[in-house]
Amino acid sequence: MIMLPEIIVIVTALTVLVLDLFVKDINKVQIALAGLLSALVSIIVLPIGGELLGGQFILSPTAFWFKIIFLLSALITISISYDSLMVKTSKIFLQSSSEFLVIMLLIICGMMYLVSSTSLISLYVSLELATIPLFALAAWHKKESKSAEAALKYLFSGALASSLLLLAFSFLYGTTGTMNLSEMAVAMTFSPLQIWAFILITMGVGFKMTMVPFHFWAADVYEGAPTALASFLSVASKAAGVAVLVIFYFHVFPDLVKSLNGFLAIIATMTMTLGNLVALTQKNIKRFMAFSSISQAGYILMGFMGVESMGLVSVLFYLIVYIFSNLVIFGVIMAVSSSTGKEEISDYKGLSISNPMLAFAMMLALFSLSGIPPLSGFLGKFFLFSVAAKQGFHWLVVVAALNSTVSLYYYLGIIKEMYINKADLSESILVSAPVKWTLSLCTVVVVALGVLPQVYDLILEGF
Amino acid sequence: MGILSILVFLPFVLAVIVLLTPNSKAHLYKWICAIGTGLHLVLTAVMTYMYYQSYAVDRLAAKTSLHTKLYLVEQWSWFKAYDIEYFIGVDGMSVAMMILTSIIIFTGVLASWNLEHRTKEFLAFLLVLVTGVFGVFVSFDLFLFFVFYEVAVLPMYLLIGVWGTGKKEYSAMKLTLMLMAGSALLLAGILAIYTEGGSFNLLELGHHKFPMEMQNWVYPFLFLGFGVLGALFPFHTWSPDGHASAPTAVSMLHAGVLMKLGGYGILRVAMYLFPEGAIQWGMTFLVLATINVVYGSFAAVKQKDLKYFTAYSSVSHCGFIIFGLATLNFVAIKGAVIQMFSHGIMTGLFFSLIGMVYGRTKTRDIPSMGGLMKVMPWLGVSFYIGGLASLGLPSLSGFVAESHIFVGGFMGNPWTSKLTMQALTALATMSIVVTAVYVLRGLAQVFQGEITNPKFELLTDATVTEKLVTGILIFTLFFVGIFPSLMIDLIEGSIWPFVNRF
Repeated sequence: MIMLPEIIVIVTALTVLVLDLFVKDINKVQIALAGLLSALVSIIVLPIGGELLGGQFILSPTAFWFKIIFLLSALITISISYDSLMVKTSKIFLQSSSEFLVIMLLIICGMMYLVSSTSLISLYVSLELATIPLFALAAWHKKESKSAEAALKYLFSGALASSLLLLAFSFLYGTTGTMNLSEMAVAMTFSPLQIWAFILITMGVGFKMTMVPFHFWAADVYEGAPTALASFLSVASKAAGVAVLVIFYFHVFPDLVKSLNGFLAIIATMTMTLGNLVALTQKNIKRFMAFSSISQAGYILMGFMGVESMGLVSVLFYLIVYIFSNLVIFGVIMAVSSSTGKEEISDYKGLSISNPMLAFAMMLALFSLSGIPPLSGFLGKFFLFSVAAKQGFHWLVVVAALNSTVSLYYYLGIIKEMYINKADLSESILVSAPVKWTLSLCTVVVVALGVLPQVYDLILEGF
Repeated sequence: MGILSILVFLPFVLAVIVLLTPNSKAHLYKWICAIGTGLHLVLTAVMTYMYYQSYAVDRLAAKTSLHTKLYLVEQWSWFKAYDIEYFIGVDGMSVAMMILTSIIIFTGVLASWNLEHRTKEFLAFLLVLVTGVFGVFVSFDLFLFFVFYEVAVLPMYLLIGVWGTGKKEYSAMKLTLMLMAGSALLLAGILAIYTEGGSFNLLELGHHKFPMEMQNWVYPFLFLGFGVLGALFPFHTWSPDGHASAPTAVSMLHAGVLMKLGGYGILRVAMYLFPEGAIQWGMTFLVLATINVVYGSFAAVKQKDLKYFTAYSSVSHCGFIIFGLATLNFVAIKGAVIQMFSHGIMTGLFFSLIGMVYGRTKTRDIPSMGGLMKVMPWLGVSFYIGGLASLGLPSLSGFVAESHIFVGGFMGNPWTSKLTMQALTALATMSIVVTAVYVLRGLAQVFQGEITNPKFELLTDATVTEKLVTGILIFTLFFVGIFPSLMIDLIEGSIWPFVNRF
């Protein structure tokens, strides 16, 4: 029973695939959303705990929350990609969009298995299931060189990351003699090989999470790949990376991480600073979002410095906040480029006149990402910062807070385009109904999460 | 839901109502705002009365108290895991600031009566900002305080960027980034306080003894963080640009109220929690504040643009606030709080008048104006009254504030050499002379003599709304100037705890 959500997702994927063969013009987005929603409901309804396959598959509170995060990001990404998937006249319409959808569902499935796995083997296999199909998605625009370049870059860096992880896993297996993660945690001796394993895992996950210096692929991939994929990469894929870190940092070698806190602090500083500084110079909005999301990864790293009860909850909360804020922005990006085909920051001139609601949603989400109260992004950052402060890293808090100020500069740059600069032509953009509703709903959540304490309390209760 | 919550969130509710009003009813939402903020002013008066009712009992005890006593308290749990509370209340100082803000926003809405460009969003952003300001003045939970503080700062970007004049984009960005960098320091300071003191509740933290080493590094963090907003030298550079570019109501609100948040925060959070840090760093900040005062006034002499002129004068006068606080002397701190109020009203008057004059002459260039008194006597006289308040003429509120600060400065405190204190105070006092120079010279240039530009002959004097705006502000200036004891009585009880902690 505890595998029900995964099964629902797989069945949905197969249904879309098969129906697409026989029925012309099916509303596949509706089917996918229905499937994901019922998976979400089933995961909420089912009790937490229990195991399957002889302990290979468990449903821990961590797994529970990560699955919710994955499903939420898939749900929102697919809804805001409605134009790409369904509207043939749209400028960002994807060829053979059913397959795109199916692959996306399978990736989600891989991610869900990932957080439930208890051994190195199943963890690695599900991680690959969540990674390899992404290469295909990145190359979706077959005739565009940028898309091909994106896919190739992503493939190489992804392969490198996988091999680093595999090497780390072999070190761990070799020194502890077990594949099981909880047994491994007990058998830890902090030998040099295990410290190497820690470093290699950080590097391997670093690619997925876009930590500096493993971030270089992100901008090209975001720019070249379909926007629907870029938005998915920025949330779900990053969350999967975070999930792997959570498993290893908090469950396998928590003591080692605590003694190497300074190392994490340095990576976090590098990640947020570099991401921010490079974002300052971007002209293309997708590249811009790539660097913005790199700097966000730096903030998330701060959450790993503390104890599980506080750190993990802060990380989970921030991920949820980040998903909603980031996807609102990508939703607006897709709505704009769906009708205009443009994706430069200067193309957003006068959006507040032509589409006041779109601009307002975008503004709130940008403010949320830069951590302005009372929006949820502030609260998320506040909790992450307090984790670092609790560990005595006050300098890191100062660095991170100043970084938020720098980030405000470029987020305000977009707001300036939308609100202050005059538009050449102020034709209003037609936004399709599903996108409109999703954006409104997500914007409300972005605001509500910052004011209502219930969600944070709910996550906290589970641990 | 007590009266304080109503006062804090009434502007926000108004903002929502304004946003929901259809675009076609342009005049309707101006009226909604005017009536709403007028109602707010009345409610503030009611709140002041309620405060006095309960304060009367504690009047004597306040003198020796080490801890701030709150009135009209509302306290609910918010984020349980972090013990964050919705904890609001007032003491005398907060009440004074609430009255100031309420007056400024009411007159500010009236002063924007002629605004035509995207009025709806303008009023909405303005009201959201005011919610933040009121929130800061009543919050006694540091988290809540910080949230409101940011809400008070950020809408400024759009208010200046969209509705401003001149190099508005540059000014708006500079202002926002400098203030936000200040908040970054604040956030780090607040988190340090939380990790050490284990609470966000300001009154509970007041009972915690922070180790000396921590006081020494967190105090300057907070002081500088708030100091940026208080235009502390050398972090004042956002203020002239910002005020010059901002539309009238925003300049009024920003120079009148927002800059006071800086001084208020320094006193409320930094000095309250870190008295020893304050003693340690007293001299450094005193010197900075003296530079503020002197530099601001000299810079004002050189200005040709009416708004820059007033903005530098604001830098100088806000320097007095920081100066008063940094002397750590009871009388001077009292003077600093009165100065917050007095300068708020005065500068509100200045900026509203500049808006009115500019709206007629279409120029703010001082040398190109002249003889305006003949065509707009009401505005001219009001300007002079504001100017006289600014140079500290007795019977106007500026005199009350500044005389307190100087007397306190000469009295000094036990931790600094008396001679240095007196020398610095003398320096600061001297700036009054400079103030007289620039105020009288500038005003004479604009209003006296013959009309320089024939176009000015056709200009008209103040309308009814404008007379109401200037009338209210001038009345307040005189009221505080002539009955200073009322003001002193209001705030005195709340100042004692700060001083008793040194």
